Amino acid sequence: MRQLGELEAEIMYRLWAWGRPATARDVLTDINKGRPLAYSTVKTVADILHGKGMLKRHKEGRAWVYTPTCTRQQYTASLMQDALGNNPDPAGTLVSFLEQLTPEEEGALRSALRAAKRRSEA
Amino acid sequence: MITPLALVGYAALVGTVAPLLLARARWSHRAPGLAVLAWQGLMVTFVVATALAIYHLVLTEQHVHDGLVGFLSACGLSGDAPPGGPTPTVMDGLLLAAPAAILLLPIGWFVRCVWQARRARQRHLDVLALVGEPAPEYDATILDHADPAIYCLPGRCRRVVVTRGALDVLSEEQLRAVLEHERAHIEGRHHLLHALTDAFSRAFPGLPLARHAKEQTGLLTEMIADDRALRYHSRDVLATAMCEVASGRAPQAAFGAGGAGALLRLRRILAPQPRPHRVTWLGLAAATVAAPLLPLLVACGP
Repeated sequence: MRQLGELEAEIMYRLWAWGRPATARDVLTDINKGRPLAYSTVKTVADILHGKGMLKRHKEGRAWVYTPTCTRQQYTASLMQDALGNNPDPAGTLVSFLEQLTPEEEGALRSALRAAKRRSEA
Repeated sequence: MITPLALVGYAALVGTVAPLLLARARWSHRAPGLAVLAWQGLMVTFVVATALAIYHLVLTEQHVHDGLVGFLSACGLSGDAPPGGPTPTVMDGLLLAAPAAILLLPIGWFVRCVWQARRARQRHLDVLALVGEPAPEYDATILDHADPAIYCLPGRCRRVVVTRGALDVLSEEQLRAVLEHERAHIEGRHHLLHALTDAFSRAFPGLPLARHAKEQTGLLTEMIADDRALRYHSRDVLATAMCEVASGRAPQAAFGAGGAGALLRLRRILAPQPRPHRVTWLGLAAATVAAPLLPLLVACGP
């Protein structure tokens, strides 16, 4: 299962890096430069990614051509939204060290820390 | 007629006045673990008292003890039903449906909340597998984002996530302190406490107890995790880490959910306060355990 996740990442990395639509065969050729892997494996994982909504695909001739639905930055941004509590996720999904604060609240934190340091030095 | 009134009064007290008192209690921030337990106790008490009150109201002429024993013996759970006592009928079963619903409502919501949170975590993990980089030296996953943030995904596929921005603003020791804080959440299974208060507030929306329990449990679990980090790291390190994480972020003017709690936590980290005296502690723990049992005594007493 872990290896499947890694292969998903490998495929996504390549498609993001190339910045153009590609077939499973294109991806396989690139992976095969480093290690042997069966075409059916790459095709299956690409279809899983399509099923998860991470890749979209259309047919060119007889082959499916895959494109990432979002950029890497967009995915990272969506994770950050979860983490900083901007998404109305059910409670218990994840626990953040510090929620998003307003500039005033952040200033209040700073001055509390400064005051404590002055006290400890005095 | 006095018993159901007493139960209704008790449930109302626990649902409205008790949470106001507990939210203001000074000892709660000095013993956050006990305070979390007290909030759980209040929620259980409210459910038990309400269920018994309703049971009494629909079954005024029959004593609740007979009814409960009759129900248990009908289910084959209790053999010592009083001889010649009332034989349970279909009607009795229907009468039990209303109080049972009060018990099942929060339980049902809890199951739903846990299930939804697990699905949301799985989605998060799927994306994280694609864009995160493993950092075995910290036993964490690194996310390439400029805003500093540290969070954990609890549950079976537990994971701590650190952004590139957090690595930039935090020193090695500050980072270790924050990681310790997150591991405390995972090991303490705080996500289940959050799911419990979430389920309770969905089952009884608008109830002051529900609102306060949710808010306070969120804050108290943060304090528990802070205390755990302070076992291995200095107060100054953790407090500075909080400020660095807060000020490294892109400003968001129209946001203010965690601000008040963050300041409370920081002041608490900087100025340590003694834990409550052992006797006080035991008294509070005993009260927490006794509160849900009291309505049972009232309902089944002579």
